[in-house]
Amino acid sequence: MQDKIEGQSKGNIVMVTEENTMPDSRDGQSKNTIIMVTEGPSIPDPREWRIVNAWSIALVGAIVTLCCLAWFRPDPYRDILTFVPDGLAATFQVTLLSICCAVPLGLLTGLGRISRHRLINLVASTYVEVIRGIPLLVQIFYFYYALSGLLQLSRTAAAVISISFCYGAYMGEVFRAGILAISKGQTEAARSLGFNRFQTMFYVILPQAWRTILPPIGNECIAMLKDTALVSVVSMPDLMQRARSYANNTYLYFETYTVIALIYLIITLLLSKVVSIMESRLNYYDGKR
Amino acid sequence: MMEKDNAAPIISIKNVWKYFGRNAALQDVSLDIAAGERVVVIGPSGSGKSTLLRSINRLEEIDRGSILVQGQDITDHHNDINVMRRNLGMVFQQFNLFPHKTVLQNVTLAPVKLLRLSRKEAEDRAFALLKRVGISDKANVYPAQLSGGQQQRVAIARALAMQPAIMLFDEPTSALDPEMVGEVLDVMVNLAEDGMTMVCVTHEMGFARTVADRVIFMDHGQILEMGTPDRLFTAPRHPRLRQFLNQIL
Repeated sequence: MQDKIEGQSKGNIVMVTEENTMPDSRDGQSKNTIIMVTEGPSIPDPREWRIVNAWSIALVGAIVTLCCLAWFRPDPYRDILTFVPDGLAATFQVTLLSICCAVPLGLLTGLGRISRHRLINLVASTYVEVIRGIPLLVQIFYFYYALSGLLQLSRTAAAVISISFCYGAYMGEVFRAGILAISKGQTEAARSLGFNRFQTMFYVILPQAWRTILPPIGNECIAMLKDTALVSVVSMPDLMQRARSYANNTYLYFETYTVIALIYLIITLLLSKVVSIMESRLNYYDGKR
Repeated sequence: MMEKDNAAPIISIKNVWKYFGRNAALQDVSLDIAAGERVVVIGPSGSGKSTLLRSINRLEEIDRGSILVQGQDITDHHNDINVMRRNLGMVFQQFNLFPHKTVLQNVTLAPVKLLRLSRKEAEDRAFALLKRVGISDKANVYPAQLSGGQQQRVAIARALAMQPAIMLFDEPTSALDPEMVGEVLDVMVNLAEDGMTMVCVTHEMGFARTVADRVIFMDHGQILEMGTPDRLFTAPRHPRLRQFLNQIL
């Protein structure tokens, strides 16, 4: 018996549907809630046993295509393949730094959103509202160009800060939904033993909420990796920027962007598998049927 | 007002009102419970008996009146409710075991984190309690692998691990399959025989008869009748109680 909290994605905006996150609907929720966010690649089902599925077709297809292109048309493709991956380091750097900032920020935001303290609650909610209403691209421009007189941020810093702020808000919603999905009885049991609110959250609620939260957070991280392509607009030398400069010099737009698309695809597919494996590892205490 | 003599009630509920929206769940309820007393609260669903029980450890905040536990006002925000709750063990209808922790960890979590017991001390205490409730062989499994009756017995052990002076039971057998009710009641009878102060909301009239010093009948947020189980079950005075007993017996 599993409830699903469906997330709808509009561009960058992850929304968790109303009826499952309204505070007054806390009671009836099952512990097995799955938060599904449709942004980013779909996380493969860990119980999927068939070898031929969407994930494997996409992955094998992408790898085979890339290899075939490099093998049969080495002229532009092998050249592209040696030039472009220099950007991988920057892409991963921005992604990892952003994850390190966005996940704690998301946790704080999620906790703030369910806080009974009015001011904290208001600050967190306003942050989420404001960030969700502004496109990530605009946020990147804002931190790098608009605030340049004020802050003098490096490219990396501007990229990491804008992406972290943006995804912190989305992740805050995921954390909030994941925490609210834990039945109220758990809180009551902990409180009745003498745990205070803080201890209840950290010893009882969050350890359980993790496994509901982790798949969508992993998904957000993958979406984040894809969105780092946007930072090429501030000349961050990432994968996308490398592709743009190669294409601009050679006019081989079709070839370059095909390779780039396939590289992004392979990375995200592999990462989604990693998330899927982590997810299944988290289900250790479910008991045998 | 509270003199520290032995006759002072361990729980003193005075003129308590509790509203859910416009509904008065508790209407001017007063009740004194003596140390070592076993009180069973009965009544139809929605009568406010669970609300009364949950008010005693402030899982429900009352709107008017006062509740003193061991002479301390639980509604007074100068008193640390988290410390007071250590003395009020609670067992829930839905067990509410921590699913991500093993049976042993469920029982040791609070003593280790709150009473600062060493792991060894807490585990010794836990094993003794698990033995008492008859499931010491399941110490290292997760709650999901246990039957309902076993889970509820673990929940009782978890509450006892804090060595509370009072145990509150909120319909502890209502979510159980009939064949598992007995094993949980046995544990509770055993506990009662050891002199634990118990307040128990239940529909198990057999349990009420054998264990209770006093049975309390509630309806519409009021205590309508109370007395020894013999008196209440054989010679009910209030028409609502008579009607209630006719329905369930």
